[in-house]
Amino acid sequence: MQARLNSRRHFLKDCTLGLGGIALGSLLNSCSFDQKTVYDYSTRRALNPMAPLAPPLSPKVKSVIYLHMVGAPSQLELFDYKPELAKLHNKPCPESLIEGKEFAFIEGVPNMLGPQATFSKEGESGNWVSNHLPHFKNVVDEVSFLKAVHTDQFNHGPAQLLMFTGSARFGRPSLGSWITYGLGSENNNLPGFVVLTSGGTPDAGKSLWGNGFLPSIYQGVHCRSKGDPVLYLKDPKGVSRDLKRKIIQSINEINYKEYQKFQDPEVLTRISQYEMAYRMQVSVPEVMNINDEPEYIKEMYGVKPGKESLANNCLLARKMVEKGVRFVQLYDWGWDSHGASESEALSKGFLNKCRDMDRPVSALLLDLKQRGLLEETLVVWGGEFGRTPMWENRAGIQNSLIGRDHQGEAFTMWMAGGGVKKGYVHGETDEIGFRGINGRVSVHDVQATILHLLGFDHEQFTFDFQGRPFRLTDVEGRVIHEILA
Amino acid sequence: MLYFNYFKLNRSARFIGIVFFIISCQQSEQVDFSTQIKPIINSKCISCHGGVKKNAGFSFLFEKEALGTTNEGSPAIIPGDAKNSRVIQRLHETDLELRMPYEKPALSKEEIELFTRWIDQGAQWGTHWAYIPPLKTRLPEVDSKFKQDNFLLTPIDYFVAARMEDINLFPSRQAESDVLARRAAFDITGLPPDQRLFDLYTTEKISYEHYLDSLLAQTSFGEKWASWWLDLARYSDTKGYEADRGRSIWKYRDWVIKALNKDLRFDEFTIEQLAGDLLPNPSFDQLLATAFHRNTMNNDEGGTSDEEYRTAAVIDRVNTTFDVFQSTTMSCVQCHDHPYDPFRQKEYYQLLSFFNNTRDEDLTDESPNLRSYSEENNQKVQSILSWISKYGDQQTHNFYRDFFQFLEPKYQAHNSTSLNPDLAYVSGVTLSMRNKGQAVYRNVNTKGNQNMYFKYSKTTHNTDLIFRKNSPKGEVIGSIRLNDPKDPQFANPKNQYAKLKIKAIDGFFDLFIETKNPSLKTKRENGYRYDDLAASLHWFSFVPELPAKNKRGFSSVEAAMNTVLNNPEHLTPIMVENKDFMKRKTQLFDRGSWLNKKEEVQPSVPTTLNQWDEEWETNRLGLAKWLVNEENPLTSRTLVNRVWYQIFGKGLVLTLEDLGTQSEPPTHPALLDWLAADFVSTKEWSLKSFIKMVLMSATYKQSSVIEENKYGADPENLYYARGNKLRLDAEEIRDQALYVSNLLSTKKYGPGVMPPQPEGIWEHAYLGNLWKESKGEDRYRRAIYTYLKRTSPYPSLISFDAGSREVCLVRRTPSNTPLQALVTLNDPVFLEAALSLASLYAHLPVHEAVKKMYRKAVYKEIDGEVLELLETLYSNAFQDFDQVPEKLQNFFNQKTSVDRKIASLAIIANTIMNLDEFLTHG
Repeated sequence: MQARLNSRRHFLKDCTLGLGGIALGSLLNSCSFDQKTVYDYSTRRALNPMAPLAPPLSPKVKSVIYLHMVGAPSQLELFDYKPELAKLHNKPCPESLIEGKEFAFIEGVPNMLGPQATFSKEGESGNWVSNHLPHFKNVVDEVSFLKAVHTDQFNHGPAQLLMFTGSARFGRPSLGSWITYGLGSENNNLPGFVVLTSGGTPDAGKSLWGNGFLPSIYQGVHCRSKGDPVLYLKDPKGVSRDLKRKIIQSINEINYKEYQKFQDPEVLTRISQYEMAYRMQVSVPEVMNINDEPEYIKEMYGVKPGKESLANNCLLARKMVEKGVRFVQLYDWGWDSHGASESEALSKGFLNKCRDMDRPVSALLLDLKQRGLLEETLVVWGGEFGRTPMWENRAGIQNSLIGRDHQGEAFTMWMAGGGVKKGYVHGETDEIGFRGINGRVSVHDVQATILHLLGFDHEQFTFDFQGRPFRLTDVEGRVIHEILA
Repeated sequence: MLYFNYFKLNRSARFIGIVFFIISCQQSEQVDFSTQIKPIINSKCISCHGGVKKNAGFSFLFEKEALGTTNEGSPAIIPGDAKNSRVIQRLHETDLELRMPYEKPALSKEEIELFTRWIDQGAQWGTHWAYIPPLKTRLPEVDSKFKQDNFLLTPIDYFVAARMEDINLFPSRQAESDVLARRAAFDITGLPPDQRLFDLYTTEKISYEHYLDSLLAQTSFGEKWASWWLDLARYSDTKGYEADRGRSIWKYRDWVIKALNKDLRFDEFTIEQLAGDLLPNPSFDQLLATAFHRNTMNNDEGGTSDEEYRTAAVIDRVNTTFDVFQSTTMSCVQCHDHPYDPFRQKEYYQLLSFFNNTRDEDLTDESPNLRSYSEENNQKVQSILSWISKYGDQQTHNFYRDFFQFLEPKYQAHNSTSLNPDLAYVSGVTLSMRNKGQAVYRNVNTKGNQNMYFKYSKTTHNTDLIFRKNSPKGEVIGSIRLNDPKDPQFANPKNQYAKLKIKAIDGFFDLFIETKNPSLKTKRENGYRYDDLAASLHWFSFVPELPAKNKRGFSSVEAAMNTVLNNPEHLTPIMVENKDFMKRKTQLFDRGSWLNKKEEVQPSVPTTLNQWDEEWETNRLGLAKWLVNEENPLTSRTLVNRVWYQIFGKGLVLTLEDLGTQSEPPTHPALLDWLAADFVSTKEWSLKSFIKMVLMSATYKQSSVIEENKYGADPENLYYARGNKLRLDAEEIRDQALYVSNLLSTKKYGPGVMPPQPEGIWEHAYLGNLWKESKGEDRYRRAIYTYLKRTSPYPSLISFDAGSREVCLVRRTPSNTPLQALVTLNDPVFLEAALSLASLYAHLPVHEAVKKMYRKAVYKEIDGEVLELLETLYSNAFQDFDQVPEKLQNFFNQKTSVDRKIASLAIIANTIMNLDEFLTHG
């Protein structure tokens, strides 16, 4: 008996004897996850839903780091330089701009608000960058700007949902879920889709990384910076690693007997999931630990170990894609610069947010580049919409602090990494940055482009639910070929 | 698309096989449109020639379009003449630019031959099976071996046996009685069986039927099946969207549990939820049932348009009604004709107009709300109503009866318009006004009433609220001084409702509202922060005069009125229909966008489905009656298919969401129809009787052991030649752990409870909602009572595939993930259960204790090898704790320490609670 308990080999021997091809596939999955081919495709998928898959088209990148600035950062203070707007500063907004338009808070006739930053042309590309982003100036040649992104949602919750699920209403799978559903994971000790937040949870909450109608294994795993990084990851008090291993061995051994009796392959899947759970208990805290990184790396990102920060999350994102995590989603809360309070003012809170974002995000691009990872990773940066060239006047009275209202007509995003042009600008807004005048792209276009870079045709990548095929881009979306290298 | 639909691939491939089988058998016979032609059209043609695209002016969706003139000026199909029909010519084309399907593989020879024959035979259109009312056919004749084997216990088994015969499968033996007893207990009550009842059955003291009856009589039946219904009803304890604040609608959850337990006929269950408020003299419970459609989300975020989200809720009600009762994806038809089912876009808006006239308007207070009162105030309500009965007319009585129940009809202040934006401001529910604020409410009607009730808040003393007719300087028709110390209705400072006299006006007029309070200094620099408010108005309502003003006792009636209106004990959002003078008109939305309104439409039902009976009311009540009319082809099929899914883990039609032309054909068409028809005619819409029949069947009682070769012959068990070893549902997994460790509370009903969950789950950047961990027995309630927050549902339930209930969820997608393993291994709820189970047997020798724990958890005797294995694990654990006794402090994260034996037994209990046999229903 003792021999049997201690002998994993015995277990494996039993596994590999006398079972059909299906069971064998699963056991090889569970015992040695590096097997990539051989077994019947859909069977493998059913037994190991996270098995890595090749996409239908040739992919440019393997993984994605998506940096979302929750609340919508002001493009007019960061990338979209509008000298004409300065001339209109504090003058009433022309009626033609606001007629028939709805805003979240602006009422009546607001004044215009000139850029609250100075701009310079940077890098070899000579693209405009604001003085709030001194570090970013060094990496501006890595990115393709989208300067005329538009959305039809101007409230946070719905706009975030549209950005990450393709629909402003709840219930659809998120971008990361679609991608892990389509591609599986390269690392079987870590979740395929990881979410990291700083500053607070985004307005639309967990639905932004929800699996919607896809199987729940594809939902984003929110790795928290306080407590267990993954829920219930830590063994309870009194249970050592060694004892946990014995517990899981016992469970799996009894379950295997159950399989022998019932011959139900679902039992084999359960066995492999328990093994993965056991491994995750070690590998997740390992990847979440940034203390052991070299000092110069910590310095470069400006990390604060033990704190929840965008800097820490940027470094974690790099560690994760390095380890084969498919999709890392970062949310940084606090960019809603209305000017209704100090933390929301362009002259106060916004500057702090810029400082806390500029360094780590630039470091992330550099770090990925120096490791040769940037060519197989797509980095996306953006908010859920943009901000008005007008000074917000809540209830018709100009806010006492400087701020801008929500604006869906035009805002800036950027992408960098494999398959994306370097030092490029696509799209242009009018002279006050109110509307896109050429190269307008929609949220669905951005999504179609991300899927394209990963090797998917967004129109063909569907899942049947409630009797019809659904896709991330709903019935719209066009790949932004202009920015593809 | 095929590439990624691997979850579907197998199924589809198999069914093509079945279709070909049917086709080849019927070579020489009449071609049937629905079973032979429509499937080809749907898979090969409809995406370019259907409800969305009508390329070349040709569509296959409706007969009229298919046989009509196309862009080429003549019909593409000439009945009786395939040779000259362009459809057939195009199928044969060799020029790829002309050959159909365009840029897709050509149809097979067999398909073209069928198409040709169909047109030659006259191109007879047919109705899809799902749109023909189900009929009970005769039970099929089956081989005598099934009878000998005792498989033909219920009509179900005849149909199942007949299909097994088709592919030479034979049933599995019956599951062992302990396995069957546990399985049936989960399927009926969502819990393991009561030990005493279990013993009675397994020792053959009571029959299986008696056993089922006892389970069906338990109130835990309703608590289990409510989970299924609440997924469909998208029940949640919060409103959803960004803010996702709390909502008090748990009385509806309790209504569902009670209705299921008393086996309320499903037709009545349907009518009460869709239209309880429109029934004659509806009871409190019938009004409460309408909360079904108030489970729509409500958007509290500042700056959002109430009308946009009211519209979103109405759209959700149409979609949900069709998802729940008709297995039809109506949401497709919101923007265009249905891509493949025979529904037109206009029909969507005709349906929408049934739902477009309720009083709710996406307000933060969720009105209209059903008000319940304390015992004492209830008596007051009754005494006021009897006063009105005694001295007044029936109309006044009914008005006040409704008014006490849900405060309608009323005009909501958010529909008013400010006339001086820096002095009057409409935000959320309220119209807030400073001194000299002015606003207008267009198109009001007093309906001849001479009193106005209104709700106000944040009021300083002595603000005059003045109402004028038709212009800012118009005739004053009423006024009141708020918080006037001389006015008794303001005596209680907590009061928010007050009444004033108003001049009755004939017909519609514009009501101008102004405030005067010169003592207040307007501080304009405050922006939108109004700390100099004169009044905030929520709503107003014109109410009839109470009768017998001069009779003795009137003043106490009036005082009672003030008390009851101001003191509801509890509020639940419900549906209340607009009175005629408040009705909205419904227009078609161009391409589904609520901002682009087109032609007006009237309430009506899709022509493809059953006919409308002129006797029915043209409102939600009529619609509900139409749904449960026996001529409706979809309601009963939908219900039996979904209940079947709950029990077998798959539907008789696999596409649970969709019974239509694009759905999978039923695996057992005759059985589906027999069950659907029988459910209405014989079972008289009784869910319990239906469930009992299914559980009595030999099909259900089979063992889930997969006998040799059976897996390969039917991997998904579509022919039911064995039982299904289904994983328990999220709720069942939690409830079972608490039940077997004697922790589960039997307390029923009431507000959602908050059992332990890790800290930081409910973080929200600025709302500060907190998870307040419940105390005492509320920590151990059944999962159905766990507070459900849409943006952050209870973690362990989500891990096991429960939904977040934002929209109607027809089925949960079962998964098998490492995160589930972490829950049952490490979640404190499961640790506490393991410790508690261990403590029950700690006084016994280890050998005995392990045996007993296993039996208590899994309901069967432990196998010798498993026992040995667990005992070895026990010794390992014991050794561990012996060597490092510190491990026993706060063992399993508890506040106290335990001894080595309990700790080691708890390790075993934890192990048992992670076994496949514990997590599945056997």
